Amino acid sequence: MTIISGVTCPVCGSFCDDIEVTIKNNVITDVKNACAIGAAKFLGYAKHRQTKPLIRKNGELVEASLDEAIRKSAQILADATYPILYGWSSTSCEATRVGLELAEEVGGVIDNTSTVCHGPSILSIQDIGISSCTLGQLRHRADLVFYWGSNPWSAHPRHLERYTTFSDGRFQKTAWRGYLSRLSATLTKKRLRRAVNLILRRDVSVPPETDRRLPYSVFQKKRKMIVIDVRKTRSAETADYFIQVKPNSDFELLQAFRMLVRDEELDVDEVAGVPVEVLEEVVDIMIGCELGILFFGLGLTMSEGKLRNVDAALSLVRDLNQRTKFLIMPMRGHFNVTGANVVFTWQTGYPYAVDFSHGYPRYNPGETSVVDILCRGESDAGLVIASDPVAHFPQRAAQNLVKNPLIAIDPEVTPTTLMADVVIPSAFVGIETEGTAYRMDHVPLPLKKIVNPPNTCLPDEEILRRILHQVHKLRRRPN
Amino acid sequence: MITLCPKRVFKVPVDAECISPDIFAEKSASEIAKLLVWEGNRKRTLGELFKIELQTKTESKEPTIQISGDLRRVRKIGAKMCTGKIVVDGDVGMHLGEEMRGGVITVGGSADSWAGCMMKNGTIEIKGDAGDYVGAAYRGSTLGMSEGTIIIHGNAGNEAGCFMRKGIIKIRGNVGQFAGMHMKDGTILVRENSEGRAGAEMLGGKIIVCGHIPSILPTFTIDTVTPKVKVDGEEVAGPFYRFLGDLTENGDGKLFVSQTQNPHLKPYENYL
Amino acid sequence: MDIAVRDGKIVERVNEKKAERIDASGMIVMPGGVDIHCHIAGAEVNSGRLLRPEDHFRDVEAKTAVTRSGVGHSIPSTFTTGYRYARMGYTTIMNPSMPPLEARHTHEELDDTPMLDKATYPLLGDWWFVLEYLRDNRIEECAAHIAWMMNAIKGYAIKIVNPGGLEAWGYGGNVQNIDDPVPYFNITPREIIRGLCKVNRLLNMPHTIHVHTNNLGKPGNYVTALETMKCVEDLAKGDRPVIHITHCQFSAFKGDDWRTMGSGAEEIANYVNQHSHVTIDMGQVIFTDTTTMTADGPFQYRLYQLSGNKWVNHDVETETSAGIVPFRYKRKSPVHATQWSIGLELALLIKDPWRIYLTTDHPNGGPFTAYPRIISWLMSQTAREKTIKKIAKRARRNSLLPSIKREYSFYEVATVTRAGQARALGLSWKGHLGVGADADIAIYNVNPELVDPSKKYKTVRRAFQRAAYTIKGGEVVAKNGEILKSVYGKTFWVNVNSSLSMDVGADMKRRFREYWTVEYENYPIPESFLTASAPIVVKAEI
Repeated sequence: MTIISGVTCPVCGSFCDDIEVTIKNNVITDVKNACAIGAAKFLGYAKHRQTKPLIRKNGELVEASLDEAIRKSAQILADATYPILYGWSSTSCEATRVGLELAEEVGGVIDNTSTVCHGPSILSIQDIGISSCTLGQLRHRADLVFYWGSNPWSAHPRHLERYTTFSDGRFQKTAWRGYLSRLSATLTKKRLRRAVNLILRRDVSVPPETDRRLPYSVFQKKRKMIVIDVRKTRSAETADYFIQVKPNSDFELLQAFRMLVRDEELDVDEVAGVPVEVLEEVVDIMIGCELGILFFGLGLTMSEGKLRNVDAALSLVRDLNQRTKFLIMPMRGHFNVTGANVVFTWQTGYPYAVDFSHGYPRYNPGETSVVDILCRGESDAGLVIASDPVAHFPQRAAQNLVKNPLIAIDPEVTPTTLMADVVIPSAFVGIETEGTAYRMDHVPLPLKKIVNPPNTCLPDEEILRRILHQVHKLRRRPN
Repeated sequence: MITLCPKRVFKVPVDAECISPDIFAEKSASEIAKLLVWEGNRKRTLGELFKIELQTKTESKEPTIQISGDLRRVRKIGAKMCTGKIVVDGDVGMHLGEEMRGGVITVGGSADSWAGCMMKNGTIEIKGDAGDYVGAAYRGSTLGMSEGTIIIHGNAGNEAGCFMRKGIIKIRGNVGQFAGMHMKDGTILVRENSEGRAGAEMLGGKIIVCGHIPSILPTFTIDTVTPKVKVDGEEVAGPFYRFLGDLTENGDGKLFVSQTQNPHLKPYENYL
Repeated sequence: MDIAVRDGKIVERVNEKKAERIDASGMIVMPGGVDIHCHIAGAEVNSGRLLRPEDHFRDVEAKTAVTRSGVGHSIPSTFTTGYRYARMGYTTIMNPSMPPLEARHTHEELDDTPMLDKATYPLLGDWWFVLEYLRDNRIEECAAHIAWMMNAIKGYAIKIVNPGGLEAWGYGGNVQNIDDPVPYFNITPREIIRGLCKVNRLLNMPHTIHVHTNNLGKPGNYVTALETMKCVEDLAKGDRPVIHITHCQFSAFKGDDWRTMGSGAEEIANYVNQHSHVTIDMGQVIFTDTTTMTADGPFQYRLYQLSGNKWVNHDVETETSAGIVPFRYKRKSPVHATQWSIGLELALLIKDPWRIYLTTDHPNGGPFTAYPRIISWLMSQTAREKTIKKIAKRARRNSLLPSIKREYSFYEVATVTRAGQARALGLSWKGHLGVGADADIAIYNVNPELVDPSKKYKTVRRAFQRAAYTIKGGEVVAKNGEILKSVYGKTFWVNVNSSLSMDVGADMKRRFREYWTVEYENYPIPESFLTASAPIVVKAEI
């Protein structure tokens, strides 16, 4: 039995690197420090995996040799007039580097999951810029933490305890104790109210008045957290204050904040369902803090306004820097979507939606983004790696993806692999093979190899290299 | 006059930057047929993909190009053109007239997104609808259309006139959200409704909405009620609420919104 | 005379019957170019690339049988960077800003930059360990920790940017001069610079401390530059330099505000001429649209406020910061035109070409592809006059250039673009054509015996833009602007041998989680991570 420490967790953008894994006979038996999602991956990754290459013959997926699968993949890509190479967010940077070379060689479009996730954030960063940092800056210094359109309690479970509200830094202490006492006070209040209602036989269908006033805790000089969302999430229950924004009105709310930061008055009484007095108090807290951070998620990028919501958020934070120190960071989903952006950018100049069809990189999301290309049915072949678009893309896009020759490289059986024409099983990055990946704040960390993969499962990097080699042969190019 | 017609249905995007009166000028039909186009990742010649006919004997300096057939996947028609005319019978693909400097493009059907983007001068008239980003800038750039006129008889999509610097966009139908996003100057006239957020982050210029708009951004302040607005020499009858903004950008832009079509904006009159 | 090459090195002689011949008659043969300061890889550079798709789409390079595709202008993609340097006959470059926490990123990008040997400088001037040890005057312990860091992240030299200012920027502040104490740490920039200068000597690093001064880009800052150079004057031993002031043009402003801004080049040049412990590089400005990117967070914020352009900021925990702002230098702006003049004044007034180097602080002053233009300005007063005629009147009136008759010779150009830089970096096998040197050779198609560079500056510029031959490690990799072969160079780093390294490791391990949000074991980069690791072993005096 061995214990490996300092393991990086290959699940979400928090990319925790303090996981301790116990292995016995090449099987992971115990995981420490990981959240429920991370532990589930380490302990259960082998449940739905596939180990044999498959090729569709006469409508059925049948087992094939790896060589045959590689050769067919190369043929599909080399013959295609506008192939798409999609995924990349759950594999290593090393694999993505080979993928870019392959996309360039076959003159296709290469894109990663930003295209359905934080693509809008990137587009706005390209217009406005971004005032950001690494997560440690926040652990040490941030006394005001916003989560907007993001629910870290469920999606990035250890975010608060590792980096923000419930972490300990050089200049700021954890707000955990404050939260616990607030929690017990809330529970006590609830119990009392229930008891009173029972005794007085009060009609409980009448909802209690919501107290909109900001609680005392947000005015104190200590770490505080404010959550802004369309519904009261678990993260919102943990916060010092929760602002419920009317769905699809985040842009107006952000712009209203910007006005108040500039000391201008608003002509209206409420914005996005929030009274202006509340907004004025929140802006006072923003200006009065020592260092503030605004985390945002798909609540901004995928609600009405999309990239312009992020535009307003980036501009708000930029404006706040005139009054105090303020930073902003997108909550990236997959553990290496940032890495995919980073590698794409240094090799091609563009972070996603890169079109190599003319022999050099071109970039225009909406035109060269894979989800849009598929919605319009413009591609004629596809390679999907480290992602599951059949499960996640709009229906029309998924239909257009599977009606053309499709290669899927994945360690697991997924809806995409079930619909593919060639399936190549790969090793789990971060568990069975090593590599490099980037945390949501652009910090690069090593992915470890903890157990050996089945010998039919090669790392993504190797599979792609073999396909590239075969494409070179088909085109009679020296390697 | 040169006529073009696709020889077949295009399944992948076709990049036809060479379809431009300046490039066709003083060329013979066979020379035109040899021009380079991209079909996906394959290099083709124009003659391989299009049937080309030269209608007049003399090769003109400012030719007219007429294109018929399914052009929805044909992009960059009229890009960078300076003179001459292009007439498209039906629908046409993205980037129509991108960076054009002069001449006229007329489209009988609808145009896909990025029509007239980064336009420097000239005229584009679309009888049908237009997609998103009409007259806009490239990603990351602040250089949207700078002169010229774009007329859309149908509806336009989102972010029309994004980062535009001058020029006029006239939309006879409805417009999507964020018309005039980040605009520096120029005019956008919308005869019917806007889906909202018109003039977001504008620095200057004029936007006129003659129909309904669900709300005005909180970063605009009401200035006056005016009976009419002048656009490109013609007078557009109001009455209009005139808002100034976007205040978060120290903007000097003017947003005119129909008074009669927007009774829900009446509370703003208290501030007059 | 002939030069013999075998197995990647310059040797005494080779078998002339079997050897490949290159006829360089009528051309100039120089060692391959060495660039001591160009931002081409890492977090800061890549954020710049992401920020500016509009910088890329008009300047593209399609893939060929030998080369990968890419984009260019002010922040080229990695492959294009390598090819463009190689076309100009450059073979060694130094990436000057690496945030230690993100060192892996810098090395990954350097590994994807072909054609060049390279190294990178970690940013250490605001590292909490440095601030704490130097405040307590524990020089040897500081040195031991820096040795650990150099080895862990494969760095080459100690880079200091706005010392103390970056830590203050963590809360949005800055330092005002070299005696302004850093909030919370009670140490002054002067103490940081002096402390690290001593550390550098104790560790026997091949290069001196590489300093981007406080108050960069502020009118009147030439005083800070002089104070920075003076503050380590007493630490100099003999003739060898102990400090390198980088992109000195940005630190050579006179005046109280932008209206009265002028050139402090004369004062700085006088000081450099009289004191041999200083080397500087130009940081020349080109009139073009470019991108500024430095670790100087507060300066970059100020640049955003001045220009109104989009602004990226990236503070790195415990260590440093960074900022990026696109910027256009205009001929008709008196300030920009004065900046243009300052860079050239520095190069022309400093007498020793071995202590001033040609750079643009790429891409801050302009893209590195403008180096040939700068060479033509240095070699020809006529070329300078032609540009001076077009610049803002106020700058023209105040510029010293009309009164400077000096014109660089080819020998001096070779010194400021390769030989001097190699020497300053301690790369004794680069920057010269003697036996034992790496066979990195550039052949330029200009005949020094026939062409008068003072008159034919355009010919000179064209010759340096497209080397007739670029030879890297003994192979012809480029010819007349065409890349013939894609090769990958080595990554140099300094492997410091110190007796205290074991103790430091244990100390770092204990305190690591207090300082960073990553684990101790995931921070150092294994040597195998670098594709072609070329460590330079030095023995420290601790």
